[in-house]
Amino acid sequence: MLQDEKYQEQIQRIFAKYPDKRSAVMPLLYLAQEAYGWLPEEALDEVAELCDIDPTQVKSIAGFYTMYRETPKGKYWLQVCTDLPCALRGADQFYEELKAYLEVEEGGTTEDGLFTVEHVMCLAACDRAPMLQCNFHYMENLDMDKMRAWIEERRAEAREKEQKS
Amino acid sequence: MSEVTIYIDGQEYRVPANTNLVDVAKFYADNDIPVFCYHPKMAPVGMCRMCLVKMGSVEKNRETGEVVTDENGNPKIRWFPKLQTACTQTVYDGLAIITNSEEVQVARDDIIEFILTSHPLDCPICDKGGECPLQNLTMRHGPGQSVFYYEDKMHLDKHVPLGELIYLDRERCIQCARCTRFCDELVGDDVLAFHERGRRLQIVTISDPPFDTKFSGNTTDICPVGALTTADFRFGARPWELKEVPSLDPYGPEGANISLSTRLDRDAGGRIVIKRVMPRQNEYVNEIWISDKTRFGHHHTRSDERLTKPLIRQNGQLAEASWEEAYQVITDRLRAAKSLGVIAGPNQSNEDLWELKQLASHVENHHLGVFPATMSGGDIVNTVGVGVGTNFLDLKKGDVIVVVASDLEEEAPIWYLRTKVARDRGVKLVLLNARPTKLSKYAKYNLTYAYGDAVSAINSLISAVIGAGKINDEILSRVDGYDELAKSVKKPAYTNFTEAAEAIGDAQNMIVLAGSEGLTLAQQRELMQACANLLIVTGHVGRPNNGLIPVWHGANIQGAYDLGFTAEATEAIYQESLDVVLVAGCNPVGEVVEAEALQNANFVVVTSLFETETTAIADVVLPRQSFAERDGTFTSGERRVQRFYTAQGVIGESLPDWRIFAEIHYRLGGPKPKLSAGAVMAEINKAVPSYAEMRYKKLAEMPRQFPDVGGEDLYYGGTAYQNRGGIGQQTPTVAEDPEARLSVRPVEAMTPKFDGLVVIPTTLLYDRGVLFRRSTLMHQRIPAPHIVINPEDAEAQGITDGDTVAIVVEGHRYEVQVKIDKTLPRGAVLMPRRLSNRPDPSVPTVLESIEKIVQPVPVTEG
Repeated sequence: MLQDEKYQEQIQRIFAKYPDKRSAVMPLLYLAQEAYGWLPEEALDEVAELCDIDPTQVKSIAGFYTMYRETPKGKYWLQVCTDLPCALRGADQFYEELKAYLEVEEGGTTEDGLFTVEHVMCLAACDRAPMLQCNFHYMENLDMDKMRAWIEERRAEAREKEQKS
Repeated sequence: MSEVTIYIDGQEYRVPANTNLVDVAKFYADNDIPVFCYHPKMAPVGMCRMCLVKMGSVEKNRETGEVVTDENGNPKIRWFPKLQTACTQTVYDGLAIITNSEEVQVARDDIIEFILTSHPLDCPICDKGGECPLQNLTMRHGPGQSVFYYEDKMHLDKHVPLGELIYLDRERCIQCARCTRFCDELVGDDVLAFHERGRRLQIVTISDPPFDTKFSGNTTDICPVGALTTADFRFGARPWELKEVPSLDPYGPEGANISLSTRLDRDAGGRIVIKRVMPRQNEYVNEIWISDKTRFGHHHTRSDERLTKPLIRQNGQLAEASWEEAYQVITDRLRAAKSLGVIAGPNQSNEDLWELKQLASHVENHHLGVFPATMSGGDIVNTVGVGVGTNFLDLKKGDVIVVVASDLEEEAPIWYLRTKVARDRGVKLVLLNARPTKLSKYAKYNLTYAYGDAVSAINSLISAVIGAGKINDEILSRVDGYDELAKSVKKPAYTNFTEAAEAIGDAQNMIVLAGSEGLTLAQQRELMQACANLLIVTGHVGRPNNGLIPVWHGANIQGAYDLGFTAEATEAIYQESLDVVLVAGCNPVGEVVEAEALQNANFVVVTSLFETETTAIADVVLPRQSFAERDGTFTSGERRVQRFYTAQGVIGESLPDWRIFAEIHYRLGGPKPKLSAGAVMAEINKAVPSYAEMRYKKLAEMPRQFPDVGGEDLYYGGTAYQNRGGIGQQTPTVAEDPEARLSVRPVEAMTPKFDGLVVIPTTLLYDRGVLFRRSTLMHQRIPAPHIVINPEDAEAQGITDGDTVAIVVEGHRYEVQVKIDKTLPRGAVLMPRRLSNRPDPSVPTVLESIEKIVQPVPVTEG
């Protein structure tokens, strides 16, 4: 997938930042993750080929850092902070309700493959709790009403897309 | 080497500077500092903390530099506040350590206790049990009780195959990273890596094929626990049942020292058999590494297909007979023989070759050939080969290794590894080849020439050396023919070799490894002479760590040359139709097309381990013994004569080759057969000047080696490492005699002009040779018969990657797969040897035709 025309410019921009190819492994992994949604073995192989190193080394790097996804996850990866300051503002309650609404367990993915929910440590936005990180973008000052509306919007989008195709 | 004074537990030691504290303590003070992650062959990382010691420095008077002493006259030591890791410490003058204090003992106990929180302690079912560093250190330091909860033990997958050769037990792993560092830092195949982190840290590989390195077995040796085990030895035996027998690699020219772990085996009918092959430490040869071919290629020794009785052809069929009958038939025929051709196989020992030569001398018109006949110039090696005492480990920054016409990783993996590691130390690698090989990415200078043009390339290098004014003037006084040589290289074919030539001229030491890829035998001989010219005029001969190493395709081709066998004679045997041909331990008819001519001989005698294409044309077939059932000596490409010893019981009525030849010779009126291989060697000592000192007793001499790996303490992984068989002895070269004259001579390039595509035979490590194919474990690693071709040539022929094609070479048709390689020069079609059961072209040959085979579409029943 990284061979696709649309990624070439981005890849070149990433390579331009580093003295050697090997150093570009991490940003390229993020790019591959964006392209595939997670990091299947073919993504690792592609990154390895781009960086001219063995795929095993790429897997090692992907395994060490927690923000690379090595298992398929939902299109929207919701990471809810439930640390103490957030919990004081109702984040733990919010997290439980969110799981109940989506009918998933901790770390689970909804049946339609859209949402994955898990809790994380501090994301440094305590004053705007309850908050979560969706695919590395923050959503802040949440409550379940807002969340339900947002979820249904995403589901509607997905249905529309499916009908079109 | 400069020395420094250090203090270990209050005792003073003089030790070499710039050495590692753990190694020094073990070697000089007999003080085993326990380690897990540290390994003397790798850079220290200080990960496991097992080697904690109390460390300090001797106080010195800053003005005078004198050591300050206390009232008892002992040096005053300033101790560091906390314990330090010994493995990350290089010794320096005044270093002091304490290893036996309670503080240190407590620290070691604690580390073991901590490591055991994620180790299953399943020693009773673990292959490593009995020679396991963790087991031993647990016995010494392990706590009877732990402060950790047993339920908290980390449990991970067991029996994870890392490819078909190596199994990983994830929960036994203690995360020392020796295996990943070995692959990554030493070999350069970074196919093993850590995944995840903390207690979940695991070893993974996702290369294709899995664990894709030719040295994978070594990781099981250096693993300090039973996490990595080989598929070959898994659940095979307990280490304390095994008897270690020193032996040698029967395949490669490097002379890798191995240890055959043997025991009586019920499954083998109560015979002694080889359970595994381990490396044996020889710092001059293979250190403690062996290739997977050496390690997993031993199964031919106890194959059920081994020949057990002599066979005599009667009415067109080979029928079993007694030795006496066979000798009778052979001697009757040899008495009347008009001419005799002898072809000695790649692992005939020196003793075999000697007796074979004595036997052959009975027939006046005889040829002494060697097989495979891919390379020549053993006599040149005896003039300008590497000096006595050569060790790749001694090559330093600025020294040069030249590799010409060889894919070293495939042809001589140990030299590949040592060259690669030398390059990491700063040795400049000059690579001359017609195509990139795996070594190319490590080379400082990649000099490319057209296939067949290796001699011009070396000539151009000499020309550039002369141009840069880097000729060694000192040596010229004892060199004949320099002026003619200088004149002959005036017009170099390649003009861009200047930088490499300067590096060669400036090098303190230089080793040239010369191979044979893409060359005819005559060209190859000229290449050897060209390499000799280069070495001589730059003064890199007659000293240790300087000279020529031939990349022979066999374990004892050098020995064969030393005793008068040549590849040229083999060619003559193919070409002349001889009366009698004696083939000793090889399969020319099945491997090279030229050997078809052997069918025209009137009488063919073959000694063999197995039925082969060559035994199929034989009149008498004699069962020989494999290297494991007998003793003898091999001479490596570095001219190191080394002994191998009897490891397992005799199969059937087989005899060692030397014995067979001596018996035949005796019946022809020769002397009574000797009683042992040693006695044959004693005769060689007397008759061959360069072997005068190669007495069995001397070859078995065993000086202590630094670093001390192996032995009873087992920190590094096994008693097998310990060398009890001797490190061998190098034969001297002519150049080492300062009085000897050296001669150089102009060599012609002899580059043939081919039209169209040329088939270039290449040698791969894993092939379907008669011996190696008995190791079924390795079959997945042996590629299918194939050709490698440049994409543009492929397009022109209308073929693509993965196609099956029929090619015709000199009238022989081969069905092979196509592999596309864009790094290959145009016009060349690589065809690896011995992948099919058909004889291959042995020299570069024009490709007559290439045609895609369209597989018929299978008809499906409707």
